[in-house]
Amino acid sequence: MTRPDFDSLLRHIWATEEEEISCTECFDLVPQYVDREIAGLAADKKLSRLRQHLNQCGVCREEYEALHDLARLEAEGRLPSTDELRNSF
Amino acid sequence: MHALRRSRGNLGRLASTEVNQLAEDCAQDALLAILQHLDEFRGESRFTTWVYSFAINIALVAARREGWKRVPLDQVIDNPHLDEWTAGEGRAPADPHRRTLQSETLAVIREAIDHHLSDRQQQALKAIFFEGVPLDEIARHWGSNRNAVYKLLHDARRKLKARLEERGFGVKETLDLFGGER
Repeated sequence: MTRPDFDSLLRHIWATEEEEISCTECFDLVPQYVDREIAGLAADKKLSRLRQHLNQCGVCREEYEALHDLARLEAEGRLPSTDELRNSF
Repeated sequence: MHALRRSRGNLGRLASTEVNQLAEDCAQDALLAILQHLDEFRGESRFTTWVYSFAINIALVAARREGWKRVPLDQVIDNPHLDEWTAGEGRAPADPHRRTLQSETLAVIREAIDHHLSDRQQQALKAIFFEGVPLDEIARHWGSNRNAVYKLLHDARRKLKARLEERGFGVKETLDLFGGER
């Protein structure tokens, strides 16, 4: 068993809101959130609840980070080729 | 492939040909999902970003499944062994006030978990925060879905927060209490 992470548990407890969006709602909102971030636009109010969910949900956060990474590469014209990706394994 | 590369830790056991096959399978699944949901695209994001979100979700869920395939989740999830994981940190803080506050906070958390959370909530909490099990894998183990497990955990966090506040513990006193000293 790994060492219990009480620090993380407490942070998550204190960041808990009465109402939180679901993973499905998060999935629906993440693409526009990522595009706004890459364009340097401020997130609007409805996206603040998305940010809160991403702070609470490790799997949604991991997917958001991967999407942000990929969308940023595309915006910069630096998408890796399939061969480059294959060779990286 | 991009998403799988980010999840290399979960795929360490696989040969590169197996990773390629996994990527192909995920790409096909993603294409099906995108086609199925095409009429839901509302133009609030770039089309490519929207498309990528499906591919990334499918790829990372698959990578997590692969990474946890050999872990006996029935042992990790279904038997929380509360005594072990709320017994306290390995090393107590040197400062006596901090040490007292740490053990008092742990006692309140322990009491809240024992008396205010359901068995499922206790299992999910322990799996996420103390064993690092991804939420997807908990959902899969229970034959449930991500939303349901998130809701279960949200409710658990709300109860723990309410209990800490009822007992007079606030964010200022308890934050950094376990992370501040190693």
